[in-house]
Amino acid sequence: MMNPTLIGNKKDEQMTFQNKLSKGDFVVLAEMNTPKGVDISDLVTNVRHLKSRIDAVVIPDMDNGVMHMSALAGGSIIRQQGLEPVIHIYGRDRNQMAIQGDMLAAHVLGIHNLLVVQGENIIHGDHQNAKPVDDLNELDLLDMVQSLVKGTDLAGFELKGRPQFFTGCRVQPIRDDNHLEKEIISARAKIDAGAQYIMVPPVFDIAWYTHILKQFTSLNVPVIATVFMLKNVGMARYLSINDPGSKLSEELITRIRKAKDRETECIHIAGEMIKELKAEVEGIMISASGWEDRLPAILDCAGL
Amino acid sequence: MITAEQKPLNEILDYISPYDRIILVGCNECVTVCAAGGRKEVGLLASALHLNFLKHGRTVEIKEITLERQCDPEYAEELVSEIDRTDAILSMACGCGVQTIAARYNEKPVFPAVNTKFMGASVSQGIWEEKCQGCGDCLLGITGGICPVARCSKHLLNGPCGGTSKGMCEIAPDVDCAWCLIWERLKALGMEKRYEEIMEAKDFRAAGGGGPRRIIRKDLSL
Ligand code: SF4
Ligand code: SF4
Ligand code: SF4
Repeated sequence: MMNPTLIGNKKDEQMTFQNKLSKGDFVVLAEMNTPKGVDISDLVTNVRHLKSRIDAVVIPDMDNGVMHMSALAGGSIIRQQGLEPVIHIYGRDRNQMAIQGDMLAAHVLGIHNLLVVQGENIIHGDHQNAKPVDDLNELDLLDMVQSLVKGTDLAGFELKGRPQFFTGCRVQPIRDDNHLEKEIISARAKIDAGAQYIMVPPVFDIAWYTHILKQFTSLNVPVIATVFMLKNVGMARYLSINDPGSKLSEELITRIRKAKDRETECIHIAGEMIKELKAEVEGIMISASGWEDRLPAILDCAGL
Repeated sequence: MITAEQKPLNEILDYISPYDRIILVGCNECVTVCAAGGRKEVGLLASALHLNFLKHGRTVEIKEITLERQCDPEYAEELVSEIDRTDAILSMACGCGVQTIAARYNEKPVFPAVNTKFMGASVSQGIWEEKCQGCGDCLLGITGGICPVARCSKHLLNGPCGGTSKGMCEIAPDVDCAWCLIWERLKALGMEKRYEEIMEAKDFRAAGGGGPRRIIRKDLSL
């Protein structure tokens, strides 16, 4: 029989993200979206500028329900550029057959890091008439990954060569302590189902962020905090109204509004947040939502 | 109508065995017609439950009530006089009825005694078949009165597929190919031209893709 490690990419030497996390080294990730279209020049340029400064690139899939090039292709591009990709997987658009097929494809394309997420409701996306699939939820997806890694598909059939994955889960934005309690229970269930790290969505109030991160770090898997780069007052206002878990205060909005150079101020806000969080978590993930070219400046500001 | 089938007795027993007083509620409409949860089935299930409890040395009080329409809040009110004297409700209506009762009697556990199956029609004595999936944008006017959404195994809007054989669907020899039926019917109606019109991909918002659906009739609502 062929040695399973010869099938597809060899994983171990490429898994710096997993190795660093398990050694307790601080990891820095950046989120980058694939294009809506086939022009990958921005993605490639941004990756090149960051290559020596981050550990992995997180590629969302149809983020916010908006049709983009699939994360599988995005992850493959990141690999070609010599960086480690982490791709989102979720159940909204693909049934269990399609997702499993993509996971096998991910392994052979050298994509070994997964982040299981909940897809945005189709009605909030840009293809509202599409049929939601929702065959597998987050826990089912984690089970599925476990099963594939053990060499069996969801129907119980044996795989020829086993894929290898390092799989994380994401928690929901957290509004209050009551909600926190529920998310802790759900995170625990995800860890039991095989999640090896937790990604926490962005919060703008450091006291609240530290409070919730403490709860998640007690679950004994590495925790990665998301730092979201605000781009302007409008975006800050939108988040403060529509995402109560973001805890984005009026003072922060005023700080951006009053700044001489608002863009630089936004970069500073993100950089300061990273500095504050560094001692609390095992890693951070910066989401620049389209401003990936400013990521080096944020890292400078954070001293990374 | 909505069709249903009684759940296995053991599953029902698992739900209700912690309780000593139960109301077993049937529905006089769809589930009566498909013989799953009408007055007669309420009586039969009550006897089966009594017998089973007796075997284990227990007597459980089972109050049998069959409502006119369990999904109608007005009829759901009829349980008010009994509710304080019960520990749990076992409903033999479809899921709509179970939920109407659960919403009205928040403080009592409500369990389903049937599995709600599909929207269908009786094709012969004792046989019901799926006919409609409530897609929210009915195509029967252009498909000769035969539904491709519910009755074509691939939900094809422009069929048939290559699996059709002698009028039957590839999934099983006793399942009609909906697209053969559509073609034959359009032909009989002299409406073959319809068949050549290409149907566009469905908008799944109407079918529930955007979340739970609701009808608001301003002329009727208070
Ligand atoms: S509850 Fe309503 S929909 Fe369900 S079986 Fe009774 S009448 Fe039909
Ligand atoms: S086309 Fe839609 S509404 Fe009409 S019968 Fe078929 S599923 Fe039902
Ligand atoms: S054989 Fe007919 S009913 Fe069956 S999937 Fe094909 S077109 Fe649909």
